[in-house]
Amino acid sequence: MTVPEIQIKNISMVYPVNNGEDIVALTDVNFDIQEGEFISLLGPSGCGKTTLLRIIADLLQPTSGSVSIRGQSPRDIRMQQKYGIVFQSPVLYDWRTVRRNICMPMEIMGIPKKERTARITRMLELVGLQDFGYKYPFELSGGMQQRVGIARALALDPEFLLMDEPFSALDEFTREKLNEDLLNIWSKTKKTVIFVTHNIPESVFLSDRVVVLSPHPGRISAIVDIDLPRPRKNSIRETSEFYDYVTKIRRSFEGV
Amino acid sequence: MIGKKDQRTVAIVWVIGIIVVWELMAFLLKNVVHDPMAATKLPYPHVVATTFMENWRMLLEAGAVTFSRAAIGFVLGTSVGILLAVFMSLSKTMERIAFPYLIISQMIPVLGLAPIIFNIVRDMNVSRIVIAAYITFFPVAVNMLSGLKSVEQEKKDLLFSIAANKFKVYQKLMFPFAMSYLFTGLKIAAPMAVTASILVDMLGSKSGIGVKILYALYSDSANIFWASVLTSAFMGIISFYIVIFAERLCLPWQNAVPGKEGVRA
Repeated sequence: MTVPEIQIKNISMVYPVNNGEDIVALTDVNFDIQEGEFISLLGPSGCGKTTLLRIIADLLQPTSGSVSIRGQSPRDIRMQQKYGIVFQSPVLYDWRTVRRNICMPMEIMGIPKKERTARITRMLELVGLQDFGYKYPFELSGGMQQRVGIARALALDPEFLLMDEPFSALDEFTREKLNEDLLNIWSKTKKTVIFVTHNIPESVFLSDRVVVLSPHPGRISAIVDIDLPRPRKNSIRETSEFYDYVTKIRRSFEGV
Repeated sequence: MIGKKDQRTVAIVWVIGIIVVWELMAFLLKNVVHDPMAATKLPYPHVVATTFMENWRMLLEAGAVTFSRAAIGFVLGTSVGILLAVFMSLSKTMERIAFPYLIISQMIPVLGLAPIIFNIVRDMNVSRIVIAAYITFFPVAVNMLSGLKSVEQEKKDLLFSIAANKFKVYQKLMFPFAMSYLFTGLKIAAPMAVTASILVDMLGSKSGIGVKILYALYSDSANIFWASVLTSAFMGIISFYIVIFAERLCLPWQNAVPGKEGVRA
């Protein structure tokens, strides 16, 4: 057994509330993530899955417990610019065209201009937006905007790709299409992905393992290994194995 | 929604309407009410227009003196306003210290302040510039600050996640985001800066459009008076449209995004 790449130990998170009972977002969360693994954090709203992702990303400090990534703190990893984050909303800068939106983090990381241009072109092809590079965000549909957000994170070639319900605002058709696209991209890069979602089939389709979280207070209720063959196409959703996994995870919710 | 062509029609109808009503009122005052002061109270617009044509050189020169000082003051005031907004956005304490002074500064009437400034600097041009700057900085600072404070947290998180420093955050995110708010402030400030500059003219300057207004008023040359007032009005309108033009140029993505406006000071 190799040393896990990310170790999450005894993480608890309490949001203090004035004149009221403090909100316990996470209690005593423990699990490991292997290098190159695709992990989903799955649960209903209020289970603390986004909080957990933000703690891993160093956007939040846990009340207690620690996250260790290759023996370093999330802050160290952040300062080394090894995170690529895709947010729930596209978080595009309105004053920049699609190309320049993808470019922005690379400018900050000091990637040379020639390399930036090459990567932008490659990423636009990857997410199927090659004809929209010079459009402004408001000229795109919601699904296209979200793809720009993904392209922007992938263009950094991050060691850790953190995705916070990136497809939750999209319709079912677009979502399934982007799920398959995401797996295609991931199979080429093989980076560690932490994917937050509240959609059971989505988590089964994408992940090597699904970490199921239950709410009030947020804690792990199950960790499910998904042994479906890769590469996965959307047709796999029609197989009985896929259905079994979905059922198994759904039952784990009913159990709590 | 009305189209561009309809908009133009509306504008033309309005202009013609105002001229017709004005002409009619002047006629009533002179020939129906038989007011002996009719030419002073409300001269015929075509007479004012002719006076304007005959004296355009003089009016333009006077206007240019006032307008250029207003412009310098406007640029100065804008810089001060932006700087103040940045400082206040950097620290909550700084904002708490500075904001009451900002409010108080706006309670001093410019009419009273202008002679004080003139007394200190003893120079008409500098007074004009200082007062125009003084008028400008407040709406600019308030709107800019409101813009800087309206940046969504996730947009900041994105930069934080790749360890961008404070300078980069302002350069890549805060400033571009606050631009539309800044321009709202500039649109309010520009005509005000012109007005302030005209006001200072009237305190005993030797040149400028305000002087023309004053002289014409005292020397009973009603037509020159009205032509000067008209010139002043044009200056205010032009200053406003220069800002609009600059906004179009600087924020090309704004034109198609409806309903994005800053606060009014």
